[in-house]
Amino acid sequence: MSSQQPHVIETQKEKQNRHKAMEAIKVINTLKEEFKNPIESMNYFYTLFEDVYCHQKSLHDNKVKVGTMCIQIPSEIIYALDAVPIRLCNGFYTDDEIGSDLLPQKACPLVKATVGHFASGNFSDKPNILFSPTTCDQKTKAGATIERFGYKVIDVGYPRTKESEVSRDYWRQSVKQFAVELSKFQGKKLTRSNLQATIKKIGYAQSLYHKLCQYRKENEVTINGNDMFMVTGAFFFDRIDNWIVAVEKLLEECKIRKETNILINAKVSPRIVYTGSPPIFPNYKIPMLIEQSDAIIVADETCSSNRMFNDMIAVDEWNLYGMLDSMSDKYLKACTCPIFTKNDDRIRRVIELVKSYNADGVVYQAFAGCTVYELEQRSVLEAMEKEGIPILYLESDYSPSQGGQLSTRVEAFIESLKIKKRKSKQEKV
Amino acid sequence: MKYFAGIDIGSTAIKISIANHDKELIGHKISASGSMFYKYAHETLDALLSELNLTRDNLVYIVATGYGRKIFKEANENISEITANAVGARAAAKDHGEIKTIINIGGQDSKAISLDEEGNVTNFAMNDRCAAGTGKFLDACAMNLEIRVEELGEKHFASTGTPLLINSTCAVFAESEIIGLLGNEHSVEDIVCGVHYSIAKRIVKLVKRVGVKEGIYFDGGPALNIGLVNAIENELSCKIFIPEFPQITTSYGAAIIGIDSYNYENT
Repeated sequence: MSSQQPHVIETQKEKQNRHKAMEAIKVINTLKEEFKNPIESMNYFYTLFEDVYCHQKSLHDNKVKVGTMCIQIPSEIIYALDAVPIRLCNGFYTDDEIGSDLLPQKACPLVKATVGHFASGNFSDKPNILFSPTTCDQKTKAGATIERFGYKVIDVGYPRTKESEVSRDYWRQSVKQFAVELSKFQGKKLTRSNLQATIKKIGYAQSLYHKLCQYRKENEVTINGNDMFMVTGAFFFDRIDNWIVAVEKLLEECKIRKETNILINAKVSPRIVYTGSPPIFPNYKIPMLIEQSDAIIVADETCSSNRMFNDMIAVDEWNLYGMLDSMSDKYLKACTCPIFTKNDDRIRRVIELVKSYNADGVVYQAFAGCTVYELEQRSVLEAMEKEGIPILYLESDYSPSQGGQLSTRVEAFIESLKIKKRKSKQEKV
Repeated sequence: MKYFAGIDIGSTAIKISIANHDKELIGHKISASGSMFYKYAHETLDALLSELNLTRDNLVYIVATGYGRKIFKEANENISEITANAVGARAAAKDHGEIKTIINIGGQDSKAISLDEEGNVTNFAMNDRCAAGTGKFLDACAMNLEIRVEELGEKHFASTGTPLLINSTCAVFAESEIIGLLGNEHSVEDIVCGVHYSIAKRIVKLVKRVGVKEGIYFDGGPALNIGLVNAIENELSCKIFIPEFPQITTSYGAAIIGIDSYNYENT
């Protein structure tokens, strides 16, 4: 007896890349195909994600790539030193599975996926150096694990309280130290004019985000939440100039759509504010369920989107140290990450978003294993209850098979919001 | 000359193998189980015997196996398909080296069987709750795509895009996923490739439950599908051995067990 096998078996790397490509294309296709009136200029982002995750296309061939493990590393400094920031928070189940062999089973899927990504070493743009802010326990330890795979990882001390002056000083020192380390690595000097230019450029990118959000405040929303996550997710790794052009185009199209009244939602579609553990491509499981259940995410309070863009750097004095200090304050004071001891800022932010975006309810997702979000659940739930804002708390991970049970809960929540919305309208009439 | 028959009555097909006293396979026949598998099993056996110019009198021992084994009362013995599969696989691959793991995909279930050095079953895992990752799943998918099951293999290799993953484990729900993909004008080839990888990933999970040991043998009708074979090899990252007649391993194993039982009873 013989076997006929006309093919070659994939290498480990090819296999992992295929798994990731399969995950990626599934999400991209769903976004392209399942929602009504798709926005044409979103194609830039769909193609970008497909190029990077299905075809391993490199975007920054000739540049030094600085990997950041969390949102708190100032991109302004990286750009000013002629390098490119790549944020390495990862949303792939494939990498999560690889990471599960290296970290405890109960660890956060985002951290496991990030570590798994480094373990596999499958990068389209491999970082030359990594900076790891000491935010949550798991990320802090992840930096040390990654170092063992032969990467250069530098810790950047981050305080866990943000009210005290001591923390503020400590963080300002950390940011300066980070600038020194990177400037040593690059063999370049951080200058006032370079830093000023990059603060302005990122500020401009932030202003584009804010403009886009204006269209989500309208009664008739022109862009859905999943597309927004794509746009902000692209900022993790895209060439910033291309990103700016693409978002400008998106804004033009949104303007036309508003004028010609092209809608993506029914008027009765509940409006949702999304908060909790960050949806990172391609883990759009919960946002996708929400919008497939005929609700629309009008705003979010997550570190993969709103938290990156919401607050601008307010510079007092445009000298080097003045800029560095103001920048440090923005990355500490404005941050609403649940790692902080007290975090009333986050509750205030969610309530403010619900009010200004006229939302009907909040969906709070925590990754199973993301202890800080799990811990903060109670206080947020109580605060929402006090305000009379309906909230749904969900725990999920990166596995694709959980869909069935979750979708029933999400649909039931959204239907309850819809019924409420219809009733309140009738009462008004 | 004495002959021995192994009859494997599965959910989808009846497989019969006849072996001589030297444990050599001398003939086999496959027919659909249909609605009356008792009747069809007898008809198939008679047809095979006449092809080989034999009669029932030449058969000294019959072993029945498979999901419908208990209804074939004329058998001298009946054994589970797991044992029969293990024995048959080792015999079919005897020139190929040692078999340590068997993957079997049937019409209604799929199995992973782990063997020790002597060919004894040490562990097995079975997906028996629904049609996910079985031949039926492939049938249903081919039907949705309006192609024949035999074409799945070549379509797999013709795929040029990223395989389109089917997340539903249920064959019925997968159907609506496939219809959705077709509706959005995705190519049949990429969908077929995605279907194969979905099954392969499920099978590999099953194999991991019993432990992946090199020397992997894949049988059952779906082993004829070279696209699925490719997907499983890629997911396992190693070569797997496909016998010449992957559908009849279990019935061949049953015939061999018959020889051993006969020898035991008559010596």
